[in-house]
Amino acid sequence: MTLAITAGLLVMGAVYLLLKREMLRIVLGFVLLGHAANLVIMAAGGASRRDAPFGAPDDLSTVADPLPQAFVLTAIVIAFAITILMLVLAVTGRDQDDDTTVESDVDEEGRS
Amino acid sequence: MLLACVATVVATCVLAPLVTRLLGRSAGWILSIPLLAAAAGLIVLGSGTQHVPWMPTLGIGFDLRLDGLSLTFMLLVLLIGAAVLTYSSRYFAVGRHTRYFTLMTAFAAAMTMLVLANDVVLLFVSWELTTLCSFLLIARSGAKARRPAIRTLLVTAMGGLSLLGAVTTMAVATGTTQLSEIIADPMWQEDTAVASTVIALLAIAAFTKSAQFPFQAWLPDSMVAITPVSAYLHAAAMVKAGIYLLLRFSPAFSEVPLWNTMLITSGLITALLGAVAALRRYDLKELLAYSTISQLGLLVAMIGVGTPEAIKAATVHTVAHALFKSALFLFVGVIDHRAGTRDIRALTHMRIRMPVTLGAITISAASMAGLPPLLGFVSKESMFTAFVDAPATPWGPITITVAAAVASALTFAYSARIVMGARGHDPDGREVTEVRPAVWAAPSLAALAGLVLGLMPFTLDPLISGAATAATGTTVEAHLALWHGFNLPLLISALVITTGVLLVLARKKIQPVLLTYRLPFSALDVVEAILAGLARTGRVVSGWSSSTAPRLHLAMPVIVTIGIGTVGVLGLSGLPAIDGNASRPLDWVLVVLLAAGVIAAMMVSTRVGAVVVVGVVGFAMTLWFMSLGAADVALTQLLVEILTVTVMVLLLRRLPTDFKPTPLRRTLPSLVIAVAAGLTTTLGVWALTGRRSMSSAAEYYLTEGEGVTGGANVVNTILVDFRALDTLGELSVLGVAGIVIATLLRSRRPASARRIEIDENSPLADALDNSVFTRTLARLVGPLIVILSVFLLLRGHQEPGGGFIAALVGGAGFALIYLMSPTDDVRRIRLPYLALIGAGIVIGAGTGLFGLTEGSFLAPLHTEILGYKLTSALVFDVGVYLAVIGIVLSAFNLLGLPHPHERDAAHGFDEGDDGDDPHADAPQTPDHQEVTA
Repeated sequence: MTLAITAGLLVMGAVYLLLKREMLRIVLGFVLLGHAANLVIMAAGGASRRDAPFGAPDDLSTVADPLPQAFVLTAIVIAFAITILMLVLAVTGRDQDDDTTVESDVDEEGRS
Repeated sequence: MLLACVATVVATCVLAPLVTRLLGRSAGWILSIPLLAAAAGLIVLGSGTQHVPWMPTLGIGFDLRLDGLSLTFMLLVLLIGAAVLTYSSRYFAVGRHTRYFTLMTAFAAAMTMLVLANDVVLLFVSWELTTLCSFLLIARSGAKARRPAIRTLLVTAMGGLSLLGAVTTMAVATGTTQLSEIIADPMWQEDTAVASTVIALLAIAAFTKSAQFPFQAWLPDSMVAITPVSAYLHAAAMVKAGIYLLLRFSPAFSEVPLWNTMLITSGLITALLGAVAALRRYDLKELLAYSTISQLGLLVAMIGVGTPEAIKAATVHTVAHALFKSALFLFVGVIDHRAGTRDIRALTHMRIRMPVTLGAITISAASMAGLPPLLGFVSKESMFTAFVDAPATPWGPITITVAAAVASALTFAYSARIVMGARGHDPDGREVTEVRPAVWAAPSLAALAGLVLGLMPFTLDPLISGAATAATGTTVEAHLALWHGFNLPLLISALVITTGVLLVLARKKIQPVLLTYRLPFSALDVVEAILAGLARTGRVVSGWSSSTAPRLHLAMPVIVTIGIGTVGVLGLSGLPAIDGNASRPLDWVLVVLLAAGVIAAMMVSTRVGAVVVVGVVGFAMTLWFMSLGAADVALTQLLVEILTVTVMVLLLRRLPTDFKPTPLRRTLPSLVIAVAAGLTTTLGVWALTGRRSMSSAAEYYLTEGEGVTGGANVVNTILVDFRALDTLGELSVLGVAGIVIATLLRSRRPASARRIEIDENSPLADALDNSVFTRTLARLVGPLIVILSVFLLLRGHQEPGGGFIAALVGGAGFALIYLMSPTDDVRRIRLPYLALIGAGIVIGAGTGLFGLTEGSFLAPLHTEILGYKLTSALVFDVGVYLAVIGIVLSAFNLLGLPHPHERDAAHGFDEGDDGDDPHADAPQTPDHQEVTA
């Protein structure tokens, strides 16, 4: 249940940020969405057995499922690469971060 | 044997390009031979079935079946096809005409498969093939044919979709794709709902193919095609496919009222509309097109009546129509060829001296008009015999008979119009002479056959009996005869002929009336309007989705997911119990921590703040993974979090500090969608996970993993031993991302960095002094980090660590080196990052190739050196290490250094907005030159 709630919270935050205008917030939304997806994969392996999977344990009833862990591990690294890519898009896009950037740049220079 | 016949026709199509290359237009002669051979083979065979496996797991076979009905249609397809091909070999100018001959033989092959199919999937595929063939044949007639060809394709492809619906429904409802079993299924009489659906879909499919009301528009439209194509389309191939479909399914549906109603209504309307339209045309070919529509209307009505008598009449008329219509088309083509026109008004001013052509046209037209002693008379007689005894469907026998009689009288009139129009006899006009026998031989045979079979209709008895038996499901004995004695059908025929003659005599008075008469709208306009409407709808729909703002695109999948989730929740029942104790008290601390981070991320208004709170969420995730017993994952998450924050900070200076405030009217819908998505996720995860014991895969890895791989870290062995291909794929993704980042930053100019205002006198201004502590620390810690990184790489197979984690630790070390530097315009690490990524992938794939010696790509190899176990998985992990290091370094070097543009500005190429480059005055170093180059 706690995993389900956490995933739900993460998705809520992710979707809220995805629907914003600024690319940075969208990227952060994707970061949260990635966290949520990883937790869902972990949940698929079951959250009742939580001993780290090392060696060949005698009693399997308390050992965590290693397969989702392997998936999530690679997923984290891929998400990292994709996050960097999206961040680069955020600074190189035609409208740059968002369509209000130009205005706020002017504001800033006006202030400074 | 059956398959051999099909293969012969298909082979003809395959060999057609070669034959045309060798023989040019004369290929028509050669190509008609296998068609005749296949026809002979089928006649000898008589009946039979053959099963060839096609998609055995789905129970779909390349099933063929030859019975009386398919034999009749096969003979039409093959014999008329052969006649058209031989005709074509002299009709065309000298040349190859490869595409024409290939498409025509392909058309014959598609029709062969369609008619012989005993599997509805094969039936559907062949049906679509005929649609495509006809489209291509029409479309190749030049630019003016493009619109008609597209219209034809749209109408017939719509029918194809309808057939697909019918086929799917039938297959699901009866549980088989075997055509004969589907037709024999008793459910069509029991389940009227399903039967009605199938009937409607089948009827629409057949109506589009056979140009029945309201889909008749495409057939006259397609007259832009060359004459041999039209002849084949009208006499034996395209339009006859619809008739075949209806006859084939007649045994199942002939007693369902919807079937009778749809077919009779549409058929009779089409017969009358087509006949009237034919009387108004001056173009002989167009006239023939409308006559086809009209004749097919009568055929459809006969099938709709559905009694054995009616089905018998329909099969006879199909044969008769194929003979007279192919002859008429081909000879009109001859006239067109010689006279240069096929307009009745122009032909009257010529002196046409073509005895064979005119004779054959007269015989064929007389057959169409239903005059004795031709086959057309026999079929019309059978039709009236069937109609006067038609069961009282919505339309009683009287209505049907009267409508058919009127249509027949009009048929007489337009048949006469063809004969009179074709024989121009102006003594002063241009003389048009006969063509060579090579051209008229084949079509004359068709015309002559109409006469011979009319005189000796009993020769058709076995064929018609077989066809009618197959198309009714009961044994039908056909006894065709020219003379049936004085009876009602003969009286009707007499009336029809008399009326026809009167119509011809009064043609001068009727013609003006007909020409002024006009439908309020033309069917072509309707098709065009539908097309325009579709295009408009397309534009509107694409308008919804063509926004450049990402939120619309991102919202759509979320909303759809919420919809799916809602449906799922409503349908939830009988969930298994949750396995074990999935929630621990300590978890709630993590939930609260994460909730705080997420809510802060939603509310924060500065960019730095957003990065920080999302970082907090990331660290909470690390704790979560730790708590779930995923040590490697937790380590990875922690390191990635550090590196992500570092990269983000590098980019933040190129972005404004604050987010622009969003008005509530925009925030509120986002919030609603976000909360709904969150709830859906929670419900989904709660309902669908953690409700089973350990998977068998996990059990295998845990019990056998160490023994098989020699590694105690099960997660790592999965990554580099068991599922190394996944990991290799992932390395490729990393590599592609690295290349895209590099390309983007080289080809596009990033937003310029913000000017940082620091008081010159403040201690913060002196970067060199400020970085003293970091630099000292880094000198000490740096080597340690490198050693730790290598250590983690080596021990990964046994304990937490491995290529990913080691590389991320190494990356963190490099991050430290960047942090300690007082300026950021020098590349601190001069490793070739893209080459590193490439090397990583090459090493990974290379290790995989070595695995081939052990039987499969990426299979790990084990050796023992000095009592220490070595495995190729470790080499693979080195590949992982290099690729990940590469991507981390590329991020730092590409994002951290000033962009080349900004550096050019420093050299004096002022481009206006580069004045805020904080490093414009930074000292230049030799490194700088290297980076710019």
